Amino acid sequence: MILSYLFYISRYILPLAAAGIIFRCARSLLSGRYEPEVWGYMELPDGARVPLRNWECTVGASRGCDVRLQGLGAAQLVLLRDGEGNWTAHNISPNTDVFIEDEPIFEDGLPLRDGDTLEAGGQLLRFYNLSESERRVVTSRRTAPGRFVRAWDMFIYISLFLVILLFQHIMTAQEEFVAPITLAFTALFALMWSYYVLMRLFGRRGLEIEALAFFLSGLGLSVCASCSPESMRKQVLLIIAGLAAFLLLGAWLRDLKRVKSARLWAAVLAGVLLAVNIIFGTARNGSNNWIELGGVTIQPSEFVKILYIYAGAATMDRLYLKKNILLYVAFSAACVGALALMGDFGTALVFFAAFLVISFLRSGNFATIVLALTGAALAGFLAMNVKPYIAERIALWRHAWEDVYVAGFQQTRAMSAAASGGLFGTGAGGGWLNSIVASKTDMVFALISEELGLLVALTALAALIVMAVFVVRNAARARSSFFVIAGVGAVAMMLVQTCFNVFGSLDILPFTGVTFPFVSMGGSSLISCWAMLAFIKATDTRRSASFVVKQPGRIHDRNEFTAEESFEEN
Amino acid sequence: MKKIKNRAYFALLIALALVAGTIVYIIRLWNDGGDWVMLRANRSVFSNGVLDVGEVTDRNGVILARAGDGVYAYAEDEAVRRACLHAVGDYEGNIGAGALNVYAKRLAGYSFWNGTNSIDGKGKKLALTIDSRAQVMACNSALDRGAIMVMNYETGEVLCMMSAPSFDPAVGYDSETDSADGVYINRCLNTAYVPGSVFKIVTLAAAIENIEDLDERRFPCAGSVIVGGELITCTDSHGEQTIEEAFANSCNCAFSELTQQLGGEILNKYAKDLGLIEPLEVGGVGTAGGRYDLWSEGSGSLSWSGIGQSTDMVTPVAMLRLCAAIAAGGTVTEPRLLMSQAEKKTQLLSEETAAKLREMMNYNVVYAYEGASPLITIDGVTMYAKTGTAEVGDGTSHAWFVGFIDEETQPLAFVVISENAGSGLAFAAPKAHAVLTTLLGG
Repeated sequence: MILSYLFYISRYILPLAAAGIIFRCARSLLSGRYEPEVWGYMELPDGARVPLRNWECTVGASRGCDVRLQGLGAAQLVLLRDGEGNWTAHNISPNTDVFIEDEPIFEDGLPLRDGDTLEAGGQLLRFYNLSESERRVVTSRRTAPGRFVRAWDMFIYISLFLVILLFQHIMTAQEEFVAPITLAFTALFALMWSYYVLMRLFGRRGLEIEALAFFLSGLGLSVCASCSPESMRKQVLLIIAGLAAFLLLGAWLRDLKRVKSARLWAAVLAGVLLAVNIIFGTARNGSNNWIELGGVTIQPSEFVKILYIYAGAATMDRLYLKKNILLYVAFSAACVGALALMGDFGTALVFFAAFLVISFLRSGNFATIVLALTGAALAGFLAMNVKPYIAERIALWRHAWEDVYVAGFQQTRAMSAAASGGLFGTGAGGGWLNSIVASKTDMVFALISEELGLLVALTALAALIVMAVFVVRNAARARSSFFVIAGVGAVAMMLVQTCFNVFGSLDILPFTGVTFPFVSMGGSSLISCWAMLAFIKATDTRRSASFVVKQPGRIHDRNEFTAEESFEEN
Repeated sequence: MKKIKNRAYFALLIALALVAGTIVYIIRLWNDGGDWVMLRANRSVFSNGVLDVGEVTDRNGVILARAGDGVYAYAEDEAVRRACLHAVGDYEGNIGAGALNVYAKRLAGYSFWNGTNSIDGKGKKLALTIDSRAQVMACNSALDRGAIMVMNYETGEVLCMMSAPSFDPAVGYDSETDSADGVYINRCLNTAYVPGSVFKIVTLAAAIENIEDLDERRFPCAGSVIVGGELITCTDSHGEQTIEEAFANSCNCAFSELTQQLGGEILNKYAKDLGLIEPLEVGGVGTAGGRYDLWSEGSGSLSWSGIGQSTDMVTPVAMLRLCAAIAAGGTVTEPRLLMSQAEKKTQLLSEETAAKLREMMNYNVVYAYEGASPLITIDGVTMYAKTGTAEVGDGTSHAWFVGFIDEETQPLAFVVISENAGSGLAFAAPKAHAVLTTLLGG
């Protein structure tokens, strides 16, 4: 009796804990004002010194350039800094000649040393690299990652959230599953705190993004406990695998040079994966997007997402090259086409949306996007003719309640269950939607609404939105455009997927059957989401925040000039 | 980097779409959530498509129906189960007008905040306005087929709504023992009958408002009259009568004369305005409509239509509502079936007309019924009523008794119809008497 009252009341605490997580993370991610980094200076002809705040800067006449100077091309020069502190200058607008110390530079660039004079369009500019002592000053001036960061209390909120979820599941689960469910939640709990300790040992304090991912993964674990408690162990192992993928990709992203060199390989690997999928794929639920490997089924398209973003992002020197953009468009078309060929139209749509975002980031051109959209619309019509079930799904859209037994079966059940849950839900494991096919993947938002209530379901959306806003806010401070494009591409993909997943099941968009990041069950998807988190993490340049970003104080220049000398010269 | 930074905001459009879509969803949930939960597949509310939540009680808290965890229970007492069958309905969903069907959404107990959850199990308790004791009394009043309804005309609460034939829902309909004659229909609301003389109240109301010298007029009656070649018969030769006497005698000759003078148009208007024609909504339940056809002036059919014969049809609840309006001075407090429903008033008649009708309905009781039988009037209680013996064309008549009592704590209006039973005074009035005395605590 007391337990059932406790169960009832715990339903009200759950959204409080969830809101606590979101609030803490959002406040520390979005409210901390922090100084940008400074990596060098450019002295203009009028004597003004413009700080170079990124590892990639543009010099030109247009408003969007980091260093503005009239008399040059709209975007004339790209200045690049590598991980060792060596700068190069690239002339991307061949109509105007540019010289470094009388040597002409072209697209592939020339080294730019401390104190070098640049002559462009008859004007003289001077470049100053940052000295070690200067960097120490700049570093100490930069504030810590948001003054609100106190990672442990976010993790306390998540712990509370997990404990309540576990309690509710123990109350509702069949007896044989109580032990595995308890074990799984305990394991996630331990994993999360181990990660916390590990990061603190490395002196990293910004753990909000990971906190949000742990929160969402906790929801995913709850979905698993409701829908298929027999696979709790597998789900935990997948989260561990996802975390490992996140750490590996994150570590890889620390070195921009390495990152750049592997872009082509990422594209090739993506092509190979898709090709393997097309040749060896097995059909499941209408889509041919699975392959079986020694008893394990994987969905290669989920991993292609990471590779696609990786290959699609580019450093500034490449960004402005026509050849590069064309190659990217061709690569994207191949990916989307391959997915359509497999019948995985939902994922194809997600890729297409990511393509739009990334290509806009790269070119800033609305015309390209309109063109792409027109092309996609034509392709869509073609697809509808080839695969009539797509047309049927679109025809049903917004009419789910007119056929609750066949065509609108899933949507009406999702909406009915979600409404029954109200704001606070029936309690974890207390609903009935878990017995409906695909509730753990396609209708997961409704499942959470039913069991944990609309409020918790909304916090799941909020978690993703907070990530997105954070990444976009970071764009100004990222060291390389690669990280901006990759980070924005990753959140765009996650958000688009969420839109399709949530609104598809609620009859606001056509039903496409893509997954809800971190929450929907599905191993490939879960690992891929965690891996993509590394792209988001790589945009976080707050001091001592992200393990993916090297601390400025620890980056030692190995270039041949010492800055002190050059300052004395002036 | 500046450029890229600005372009990055583009990605927030997707976040914006996510927010916008979520708002759309919440608005739809707010508007339609109550309908969504009524999906038969929703196992929070239904079990195998049958409502599995909620509790229906009478006005005193006597449980009439309760569901939960796939167990469906009706009232403990078989007599109560039979008597309340049509008001409560059944879990099989055969009785469309029953509370279990009509108020399924309320019983599901859905709210935007809590969905269908509640701390004490699931679903909501609904208290009907009916009194199970009065129901049982009505059920035991030897009514084979017909309807008995009683309502409090000040609050609108329907205290008794009994339809016969009935069966025991706990056992289910049994074709061996139970009457098959429209057993699933709630006759109170959903059957229209030939009204016979109770329709004279309508004709009288029209006459009061449209014939100026009504009070001075004298109506001759020789036992019958020929109108348009048709013989209009009367129960007796009533001689010269005032309008009061004509109404108390239920004199067909006099009402034929009034009807011819008023004409079909006016009577049709009154039948409509007094709510006898259009379907009504009683506490959320739609009722059947009635009928009044227009006949040419001077025809026998026109005469009969003002007497409640011809093709006239009315539902019991519409007559009840009219009586409740007359009782309350022309403005009816709409009949309602749930304690939680709000009072709603509609003016049907002017206060003066209502007062005159009251006077004549009371005169009728004193003049024609008092002393006729001990089972009509109640000692110390003023009664206003009209009987009807409606010929149905097969040689039998429906027995009607409609009216109201003026009692301080129990201002009750009533209607009784007993199908093919014969005289209203002999076969309907005692049933009303039985139910009213029960409600008055006798």
